[in-house]
Amino acid sequence: MRNRVRERRTQRGLSQAELAAALGVSRQTVISIESGRYLPSLPLAFAISRFFDLPVDKMFDPDDEEAGT
Amino acid sequence: MMSFIRPRWRRPAVVILAGAAFAAAWGVRGGPHWSLYATLFGIIAVARALWLYGLSGGDSDAGALAGSVADERQKLLSQRSWAVSGRFAMIAAFIGLTVAVAVKASWWWPFLAILAVTSVGYLLGIAAYQAQSGD
Repeated sequence: MRNRVRERRTQRGLSQAELAAALGVSRQTVISIESGRYLPSLPLAFAISRFFDLPVDKMFDPDDEEAGT
Repeated sequence: MMSFIRPRWRRPAVVILAGAAFAAAWGVRGGPHWSLYATLFGIIAVARALWLYGLSGGDSDAGALAGSVADERQKLLSQRSWAVSGRFAMIAAFIGLTVAVAVKASWWWPFLAILAVTSVGYLLGIAAYQAQSGD
């Protein structure tokens, strides 16, 4: 499942650590989500979508089965 | 239960308590060198607690787990690691039991006990986390 977290984060000029702090997760988790190695829980996915003012289905694309756990 | 202890001290505290209990066991056991062994295991426990405390200050998954400040992915990572650990224990216990039976050893029962405990633990996990019946 592809996501737009990295794209949106860089657009806002945020570091991974800053995004992690805003979401209340670790920097490693942001890295894992951006690389598609970790699929966030539903609450975290909604938190990310809210943070970037984007619907969750725009932030996470279920049609692209690239990676994820 | 441990919320009154700062997160970074929780795991080290558990290690210290376990070390103290094990050291006390040597005291209860007695014998000529009980104080030596009790001191040795006490020192090992303190060293491990300090190592965990130091690890928890780092920016890593292991550090977050050691510092009891893990997020959802890190908790999942820990659960998977425990699952691997439990599977290893079961396999090792089964191999040990099989070998002990084959060589007619008297030390077969600890392997059976570990196998029984890990099996019961697995079944308890299924019972606790399975989907509850709906309407």
